[in-house]
Amino acid sequence: MRPSLIGRVAAKEILSTLRDQRAIISNLVIPLVMLPVVMLGLPLLLGGLFQREQTTVTQVGVEGLANVPPALAQLLQAQNVQLESVTAPEAAVRDGKVPVAMVVPAGFAAAVAAGRGADLTLYSKTGNMKSELNAGKVRQAVSDYSRQVVAQRLQAAGLDPSVLQPVRVTSVDASSAAERSSGQLSWLIPFFIAIWTLTGGQMTAIDATAGEKERGTLESLLVTPVRRTEVVVGKFLATLTFGLSAALMAIVGYVVGGAILGSVFAPRLAGQASEMLQVMGGSLDISLPSVLLLFVSALLLAATIAALLLGITLFARSFKEAQSYVAPLSFLLILPAVGLQFKDLLGFGEGVYLVPVFNVLVLMDDIVKGSVAAGHVVATWLTLLVAIVLLLLFALRNFRREGVIFRV
Amino acid sequence: MIAAHGICKAFDGVQAVDDLSFEVASGEVYGLLGPNGAGKTTTLRVLATLLTPDRGSATVAGHDVVREGEAVRRSIGVVNGGMGLYDRLTGREVLHYFGRLYGMQPAAIDARIAQLDELLELGDTLGRRAGGYSSGMKQKIVVARAVLHDPPVIFFDEATSGLDVVARRAVLDFVRSYPSEGRAVVYSTHVMSEVEELCDRACIIYRGRKIAEGSIAELIAEGHGDDLEDAFFRLVGGDRGARDEIAGVEA
Repeated sequence: MRPSLIGRVAAKEILSTLRDQRAIISNLVIPLVMLPVVMLGLPLLLGGLFQREQTTVTQVGVEGLANVPPALAQLLQAQNVQLESVTAPEAAVRDGKVPVAMVVPAGFAAAVAAGRGADLTLYSKTGNMKSELNAGKVRQAVSDYSRQVVAQRLQAAGLDPSVLQPVRVTSVDASSAAERSSGQLSWLIPFFIAIWTLTGGQMTAIDATAGEKERGTLESLLVTPVRRTEVVVGKFLATLTFGLSAALMAIVGYVVGGAILGSVFAPRLAGQASEMLQVMGGSLDISLPSVLLLFVSALLLAATIAALLLGITLFARSFKEAQSYVAPLSFLLILPAVGLQFKDLLGFGEGVYLVPVFNVLVLMDDIVKGSVAAGHVVATWLTLLVAIVLLLLFALRNFRREGVIFRV
Repeated sequence: MIAAHGICKAFDGVQAVDDLSFEVASGEVYGLLGPNGAGKTTTLRVLATLLTPDRGSATVAGHDVVREGEAVRRSIGVVNGGMGLYDRLTGREVLHYFGRLYGMQPAAIDARIAQLDELLELGDTLGRRAGGYSSGMKQKIVVARAVLHDPPVIFFDEATSGLDVVARRAVLDFVRSYPSEGRAVVYSTHVMSEVEELCDRACIIYRGRKIAEGSIAELIAEGHGDDLEDAFFRLVGGDRGARDEIAGVEA
């Protein structure tokens, strides 16, 4: 193999892809911009809407407004609920006059005061998010009221409120700092690398194989003195370059985008929304050796996918046909990557580190969580190296098969 | 320059080329004449080392096509009608890419491009991206790419198909001017007039087999025809299939 000729083939493919606007958008723009917007912006937007609904004063219809005990009315007010009298509560909700309504029967306060159970009916639209959110406010106020009543009754009976909770549990998070801070990133990073290598690499791979056939340039390339091994390795390197760049863009976009969105939105958001940012937006705390381990693992994963892409896309007669071959590959990658979330439940054995692609997803999860074992690194990397060599040999075999090269 | 001996090649049980032998001498334009599917392209692909013959042997510029593939490819240029270019590269970038694959240095490539620019009138195609070329412009760069490294042997395979009359004339003039001492051209086509105009000798191929071989005058005489087309149909045995195949291609 002559490195200079491999370099020429790779450089031509890289230049050609760089001049393809579609490829640039899918390789750089989408992972860098779209991903944080979709994955962080959307939940933030929804979080913001929920919060607004929480703080806005809501009109709640009540049949029997006079029967509402003052203590309950106060608690409802604390939940930003304003009560208004209605005569047909169910219809009022159905017609959208009020998001929620309730019926407080006569004798409600008396029954509570007498220590009996009292009934209250709440009307809401279960499929309607606004209605359900406001029903939540009412339920919260009613539940607080119930606790108040219980406390008063226990006090009247001379009992301590702790009598209702004979056992108290104190929970302590025993996970390491790395595990705690990794959050969703431990499986999202491997997931991104797998998916974006495939997405970013496929343009170059298809253009360099089926695209060459479709344009009628493959034959002119193969009648030059360049060897097929050099063609395969050159095209593989170009595919790997774009696959890896897309994956890196996705990670950068996610982490940086998360931090920016966080700094903009977090001060304005309270509770769940800012917590979500903390979990999603990269509070990653890993050491330099871990970063290096991650990088080598990512490189090997990207190389495996690039080699696979090259071997498969050469079969196709056209760009379109090649895309239809690649589509099922995404599912093959998404499934194990999503399954990684349930790694603890599924309980993989040692053998998982010998299954190409899946092993590196598990390994990267281990690295991010700071629980990686040297033996697993060696097993994973060696398995992947063998897989890459085999897949490149498969691609080379295809480049040497007359039936594949001239399948047009 | 070229010697093919008993070449056989079959695809999925269909004999594409059957015991084909011919020789091409230095300074010669040698025609391969036959309808589509006659085996012309398969023959040229065997000579260009893209296909391995099932039987038989061939040498190009003194190199065996099976054992010395790389040396053969260094000695040949190939132009066919279906060849394309890289849409996002300019003509000059395409030529530089291929020049480097032939081991040429950038200065030598530029000097050669200047020569070819004069010969083929490449003009502003060199600076434009190939995606915007007309078929004529494209074929000029394809020809330039094939002869960039000044190979002793060039294969033209239906090289004028789809070209307008001006572009076709440019290709034909180039083919006529190319052979000299130490160079040879194999010109494969189904167009009788092109063979009559360009070829010193030709071989009529039909269904993978050589039907006749000789100069144009010899072929006409052998087929007892009024002209080459008449002789061609007489030589393939008045085969109605051949007539339809040729007519179909012409249409």
